[in-house]
Amino acid sequence: MTPPSRRAIRAYGWLLWLLRGRDPQEQRAIKEDAELLLDAARVRGRRAFAATWLALMWDLVIVGTGHDLARALRSLVRAPGFALTVSLLLGLGVAATTTLFALVNAVILKPLPYANPEQLVMVWESNAPLKRLREGPAPGNLNDWVANSDAFEALTGWWTASATLRGRDGSAPVTGVQVTTGFFEVFRRAPFLGRTFTADEYLGRPSIASGRTGGQEPVLVLSHRLWQSLGANPALVGGTVYVEGRKWRVLGVMPADFAVPDIDAAFWTPWDMREAYRGVRFPDGPPRDFRFLRVVGRVKRGLSREAATDRMQVLAARLAADHPRTNADWSIQLVPLREELVRSSRTDLLLVFGAVSGLLLLVCANVASLAIVRGAARAREMAIRLALGAGRMRIVREHLAESALCAVLTALVAIVLTTWLLGAAIAFAPSDIPRLHEVDVNIRVVSFAMAAALLATIIGVVLPGRRGSSTAIVPALKDGAPVSGEHASRVRRALVVAEIGVTVVLLVGAGLLTRSFARLQRVDPGFDAQNLLVLRIAPDVTRYRGAQVSDYYGRVLNSIRELPGVASAAAVTVLPMSTIGSDFYRPYWLEGARPDEFAATQANVRMATPGYFATLGLPLVSGREFSARDALMAPRVIIVNESLARSAWKGQDPVGRTLILDYQNGPSSLQVVGVVGDARYKGPRSDPAPEIFIPHAQNPYLVMNVVVRTTIDPAALAQTARVQALNVDRDQPVHSVTTMERLLDDTLQQDRFAMLFVALFAAAGLLIAATGVYALLAFTVAQRRREIAVRMAIGASTSSVARLIVMESLTLALVGCLVGALGVAAVSRVARSVLFGIAPHDPLTLGMTAAVLIGVVLAASWLPAQRAARIDPVSAMRI
Amino acid sequence: MSDRPRSVDRLLPLKPKVLQILLALADGPRHGYSIMQEVATRTDGQVRLWPAALYGTLRALEDLDWIAKSEKRPSDDDERRRYFALTPLGKRVLDAEVRRLEAIVDHARASRALRKPVRT
Repeated sequence: MTPPSRRAIRAYGWLLWLLRGRDPQEQRAIKEDAELLLDAARVRGRRAFAATWLALMWDLVIVGTGHDLARALRSLVRAPGFALTVSLLLGLGVAATTTLFALVNAVILKPLPYANPEQLVMVWESNAPLKRLREGPAPGNLNDWVANSDAFEALTGWWTASATLRGRDGSAPVTGVQVTTGFFEVFRRAPFLGRTFTADEYLGRPSIASGRTGGQEPVLVLSHRLWQSLGANPALVGGTVYVEGRKWRVLGVMPADFAVPDIDAAFWTPWDMREAYRGVRFPDGPPRDFRFLRVVGRVKRGLSREAATDRMQVLAARLAADHPRTNADWSIQLVPLREELVRSSRTDLLLVFGAVSGLLLLVCANVASLAIVRGAARAREMAIRLALGAGRMRIVREHLAESALCAVLTALVAIVLTTWLLGAAIAFAPSDIPRLHEVDVNIRVVSFAMAAALLATIIGVVLPGRRGSSTAIVPALKDGAPVSGEHASRVRRALVVAEIGVTVVLLVGAGLLTRSFARLQRVDPGFDAQNLLVLRIAPDVTRYRGAQVSDYYGRVLNSIRELPGVASAAAVTVLPMSTIGSDFYRPYWLEGARPDEFAATQANVRMATPGYFATLGLPLVSGREFSARDALMAPRVIIVNESLARSAWKGQDPVGRTLILDYQNGPSSLQVVGVVGDARYKGPRSDPAPEIFIPHAQNPYLVMNVVVRTTIDPAALAQTARVQALNVDRDQPVHSVTTMERLLDDTLQQDRFAMLFVALFAAAGLLIAATGVYALLAFTVAQRRREIAVRMAIGASTSSVARLIVMESLTLALVGCLVGALGVAAVSRVARSVLFGIAPHDPLTLGMTAAVLIGVVLAASWLPAQRAARIDPVSAMRI
Repeated sequence: MSDRPRSVDRLLPLKPKVLQILLALADGPRHGYSIMQEVATRTDGQVRLWPAALYGTLRALEDLDWIAKSEKRPSDDDERRRYFALTPLGKRVLDAEVRRLEAIVDHARASRALRKPVRT
């Protein structure tokens, strides 16, 4: 016989033994017949042999498992308690884990919804000496890259602009994305309806905000969301929509999951930067030192990201040589688009996922404990069956079949619960988690649920029940034998210790996140965030120009100031904590600086109306605020913040000195009239950056944030203030009405998400660990009833008996805490990046965790201890 | 057996594989492998029995007392083989099933459900 066929027969023998182990005689008969069949088949060739072998194996599996599963099903129907309890418990744990997995999957794991997404990279400009490491590329540089780079199949840039969409029921602000040539070629996504832009359509089109048309009919492609809100009419393609005071031709509609740069993008429109940056203001064409674009490229197939970076570096060096003033020291960075998208949420999501996995482990441990108790309770039944001649293999098979049913039930419970939980999780999750709209229950999530259910069942049911077959017959049959063996108790004690350990990790995590969150909330943003109402106005560019803009805002602010409950009102281009508004990062230098110092320092440039700093509560350190005399024709003045004053004048008072700012019409000399305090513009975690404020009247910027200091609850004024602004001109959209406290709060969304979820899991974990301790001790008391009775009979007091039980729980808690401390040490590295102003080994948190845990464990041991103390020695020993 | 059912009709119809096994045993005791081969030959390979399922069925039929292990065996055979033979009850069941099928075929012929008589 050839070796392969010998192996085939041996495999058949094993499976036979495993699945049909009841009757050795029958087993032998089956095996002999199978060998005869195989011999006969071998004569007819290799294929016939293989086919026969497969048929034989299949026959075994069907007959063998079918029987055991049927039996397991019958016993489940007869006594559903255990399997149902286990499946519900495990199902809950698996569902929680799967829900988080669905989030992690959509946000981190799932490929981006574009063709060959691995080719997509985000492009940044980076200047190490200036410590400006991630700047959106400048239009002039992007144009040169597109013209000269051989690293990309396509390269595109975009910039978002807020626009006003006029529909039948009034105006609404929407986000428009102006995109340069190649945008849809980079993302390679077919439109849902209609078409995208042709190469010609990209040419000669100015920006949305310019209000010009470039002599052509404006065109756009709608997002699926906007198209639906406009009635989801396919006939809209080819028709027009009314945006920013004119008609735009709708060329197509993108699919629902096309969200570039994010889900708020309402439409895309072609943008020719050469058209946008020309004339007297930009004699050299698109600027090279306005670094603000978002640029994504599709790297040439077969070219690695490193190779593409190298090619771009060569180009960057050439540009630096050609344009030293703007490009010296600037290099180019390529970051995979997917990494770019999940950067901010990755740690938080993985942290929560880790916490929920810990919870699942806890549930498994508790179920395992249940299974051990059940196994112990059935030890006698097993012993009797073994004594009557049941094969040990048969008992193992029945156990496996029961477990398989548990796994199936668990998976079902988990999948049903997941679909339900997912809705809740999305509602709770911070809105700035990217790709949240892509979250769904797909085949991958379902597979995860099934795999997790299987694993949980193996840990919770299969492993603990494994010993059922090896029950020693004689001791188990003895009258009055302890219900559970010493081994089972040891395993259960180890499980409870592990539960306490996991709970410690969860509790410490929750404690640290809570304390870190509390610190974040206490961080001084630099101004008084209370009683501030915020509204945003985006006037129509075709309606207001130059001085008309200042006049319009003057009227709006005056009408708001008239309202009762308003202390003051002002406007600014970018508010602290707000994500909306255009920020300009521009180079500045002092008079008399050498040319090589020109581009060395940069500051955020913002336009503000008189009274802005007083309204915001930003302290004036020296000099004066803007006033009405800083008008369009008055001398050019600025106010700087302390960061800038410190770095530029090294502690001397800058008031009265001048500073050169390279902004709009080229470098111009500006006089500093005041210094204001620093504010943390991007939330409590951010550090103050240098800032320059220009009087709004001297640079009448169109889109502004209005901020109102109120003497009453600002939310109560929201509606009246909005109406008041609309009364000035009802066609100009006033939107995003909110309070500063809410904006401040929003910057902490991800921190809150992580804190709430981990705290929730820690609470659940504590509960599970407590029930685990309780169940173990209650069982121990029941098991040691006689021993305790004997102790009491020979003089032990009730309190010493109770102490016995409590000491056991205390030992468990202490060992568990030690195990947990090891776990905490292991995860502290990850935690460090999430925490704010607190170390992962914060002694107060650790101490409180231990105290809470020991308290809960002691409480859990109270009832069992009471029960032990109440044992009546006479009745207990009479058995 | 005292509590044997008065009529075997309520045991009918038989599952095809059971019918084939009973038929194979109709002309004398056989062992498992021989049943498999007989059924395969008789049905021209249409019905194939595999050992694990076959022995399961045989055990079930033994429990029903339709077949029994037989001590009669050909002189040339391996002694370890287990032979099965029809019991009187098994014979009655088979007889009743064949009659039932016969009645169906007769009815089909009479009602001209068959286009032409099948000849072999």
